Amino acid sequence: MKNRLFVLCLTGWLSLAGRALAETPPVVAIKNARIVTVSGPVIAKGTVVIRNGLIEAVGDSVQEPADAWVINGEGLTVYPGLIDALSTWGLPGAQSQTASPSGRRGFVPEDPAPAPTPAPPGRPTTLTTPSAPPARGPEDRPYNTSFLLAADQLDPADRRLESARGAGFTGAVCFPNRGIFAGQGAVINLAGQRAGSMVVQSPAGLYLTLRGGGSFGGGFPGSLMGVIAYIRQIYLDADHYQKAKELYAASPLGNKRPDYDKTLEGVLAAPRVLMPAQDPKEIARMLRFAGELKLKAVLYGVHEGYRAADILSKYDAAVLVNLRWPEKSRDADPEAEDSFRMLELRDKAPSTPAALAKAGVKFAFYLGGLDRSSDIARSVRRSLDAGLPQAAAVRALTLGPAEIFGVADRLGSIEKGKIANLIVTSGELFQEKTEVKYVFVDGVKFEPSPEAPPALTEVSR
Amino acid sequence: MRALSLFWLAAALSAGADDTFLIRGAVIHPVSGPSIENASLLVQDGKIADIGLKIVVAKGIKVIEGKGLHVYPGMIDSATEVGMSEIGSVRETADVSELGDFKPQLRAAIAVNPSSEHIPVIRANGITAAMALPGGGVIAGQASLMYLDGWTWEEMTMRRDAAMVLSFPAINTFSFSFTEGVVRGSYTDAKRNYDRRMKQLREYFESARRYQKAKAAGGPGFKTDLALEAMLPVLEGKVPLMVSAVRERAIRDALAWAEKERVRIVLTGVRKPGNTLADLKAKNIPVICGPTQALPMEEDDSYDAAFSLPAELHRAGVKFAFGSFGNQFSRNLPYQAATAVAFGLPYEEALKSVTLYPAQIWGVDQIMGSIDKGKSADLMITDGDPLEVKTQLKRLFIRGREVDLESRHTKLYKKYLARP
Repeated sequence: MKNRLFVLCLTGWLSLAGRALAETPPVVAIKNARIVTVSGPVIAKGTVVIRNGLIEAVGDSVQEPADAWVINGEGLTVYPGLIDALSTWGLPGAQSQTASPSGRRGFVPEDPAPAPTPAPPGRPTTLTTPSAPPARGPEDRPYNTSFLLAADQLDPADRRLESARGAGFTGAVCFPNRGIFAGQGAVINLAGQRAGSMVVQSPAGLYLTLRGGGSFGGGFPGSLMGVIAYIRQIYLDADHYQKAKELYAASPLGNKRPDYDKTLEGVLAAPRVLMPAQDPKEIARMLRFAGELKLKAVLYGVHEGYRAADILSKYDAAVLVNLRWPEKSRDADPEAEDSFRMLELRDKAPSTPAALAKAGVKFAFYLGGLDRSSDIARSVRRSLDAGLPQAAAVRALTLGPAEIFGVADRLGSIEKGKIANLIVTSGELFQEKTEVKYVFVDGVKFEPSPEAPPALTEVSR
Repeated sequence: MRALSLFWLAAALSAGADDTFLIRGAVIHPVSGPSIENASLLVQDGKIADIGLKIVVAKGIKVIEGKGLHVYPGMIDSATEVGMSEIGSVRETADVSELGDFKPQLRAAIAVNPSSEHIPVIRANGITAAMALPGGGVIAGQASLMYLDGWTWEEMTMRRDAAMVLSFPAINTFSFSFTEGVVRGSYTDAKRNYDRRMKQLREYFESARRYQKAKAAGGPGFKTDLALEAMLPVLEGKVPLMVSAVRERAIRDALAWAEKERVRIVLTGVRKPGNTLADLKAKNIPVICGPTQALPMEEDDSYDAAFSLPAELHRAGVKFAFGSFGNQFSRNLPYQAATAVAFGLPYEEALKSVTLYPAQIWGVDQIMGSIDKGKSADLMITDGDPLEVKTQLKRLFIRGREVDLESRHTKLYKKYLARP
């Protein structure tokens, strides 16, 4: 009993320690540390100065300012804070992420999502009644919530943020993830007083899935070909919509005004589109499709990318690789035999990043629902073992996503003037013994508790 | 005087009756024994009366010249929906399954439509009898062995309760969706579901046993229950259970369960028997093979998995018969058997597995399944091997009555042949 009380007290204290130290001074200097800048060469021993949430200076001959709170970085390494390139952190209402055993999906719904069919124009939208009749065609705009902004849905109290920081993550690109046109993502920092202060860039892109109504009663589209045809129709409609609006804006007199369509507004506002693809066939199909629709495409999933590096480099595509490698489900039928194809995929998927790096394909990692710090490190190590250079792995979690989402001028590396998102570790990232000592988000210091609390696990399983 | 004239009338009727005739000079394939060249076969009152090189018959009896032709016993399809469903997707024409989990009192025979367009089509390939299987639920009802000829279902019925159909619970983690393809789900959930259904099944058999005892004890409190009443022949071992089990685990489970419940079973739907074959042989459990012309179940299975399964069963010494598990495609029954021959099944075995073996499995080998004295004259006269696609069926007899070979197919053939 006494022991349990002690443990309770201890965990309470630890989780307190994990929270923000609100009284972080505006100026911090980490000196005599190894600095992995990512954008430039590694500084064997140098100093980083943070002032008012930005990096003021970095280098081997930088002097710490007199007003700085100094951290002795002897034996420690400073990295840019890690970024999860496709996430739902900060969006408590999003569906949990799990890896699909078939590798077909990026995110998987735990239960069939209600069809978020916006009411047809002219009828009042009833947000509270999800029992809209099943869609009959693209004109009903089924599974289209492209107008949803992740930035509008952020909750700084999401308990997952804390353990994400504990794992060394300071940023993420978060997306609503229900439906086919799920919504607009936002590049966010994983801490902030208010939701608004977390947002770095919004919108960051439109998240597409190929998840229709399934088969019976889900309405249109209920098949893969239906989903593809639907996406094509939406882009044609969006194009027409834009032209009609421009024409009308030029001369409203004597012309009928085009109906306002929020589902198309969202589509038009997207600076890029995230599209799912796992194997070479799907990758080639999506790249052709994106070319046809004149979209700036970012492919996600890509577990079979080890066989598709040539296509990807030919199309100069950007890729988000799911770090949750395909594995046999713990809840699999013990007598079920896996196909050779599945076994090969499980074996070779972690070699995808190495193949992409070798072919010069721009890529970033996303966690695909991995939540424990040790699991993330183990996943990255598997790709290191398959030939990915350490520097490329770090880049795929820092500058890589920043470049793909157009925020490389603010995030992703340790450079003067960038946002002060840093982590200080006891050694090389992703190694088993390495601990994250300090995390800075917007210059605010966090000290993670020794092993991340299991809060994340509870929420997202 | 009056009696005498009646006698003459009867004799005349008998001589000119449909179900009494002689086939002369044909090759007779009894299936139960070696073929006999240039032999004769006498059918009297719908039964096979004599087979021999020379048969002396009374004057006036109908003679069928069989020179250059072959006589085989009619084939038996051991699993069909024949007559129970006309067009699967038109609900009004489908009478295959009833709601509910346990409904042993249902009899498939009643649902068989004697005027089904499928019946003449199937007959035209030499199939003279078929098992009509009810579907749905755990115990779907009684499968009935039907002659494929008759004005009413009563006339067609050979054995109303040839088997009791049981869909054996299996742990199934597969699911299919149009956008995702085949998806594997949770084993825990599948196992829980399986355990629940196994429990239901055990409880149902237990209640049937209690009913049996209560009935034996008699007494004023006894109340007749149609469903449990229908279970009695199963418990007494008079009627076998037709148990569907596809994979090794389900087969093992079904065998263990049958042993515990002390019931006789016939396995159906077997696709991947794995290491259970020796057990099937040892316990003398017959198998109804599904269509051999089928794709492998899993992507890594050998391409000929379905083609060679019958040969595998044969090598292991397991008794089996073919079933089409369909409706109009029942007509392909001989070719399903033929495919198995191409993949290692001895020809004689293939022929027996559509004639004599099903008769044995369904306990009617005293009545049909081969050309032997005393058996029902279910015969086909062909110009060759009936398992061969090119072979033409010349005449067909069911219970000695000649059956018209015209079907929807021949009608359409004639119609379009005459198109100007």
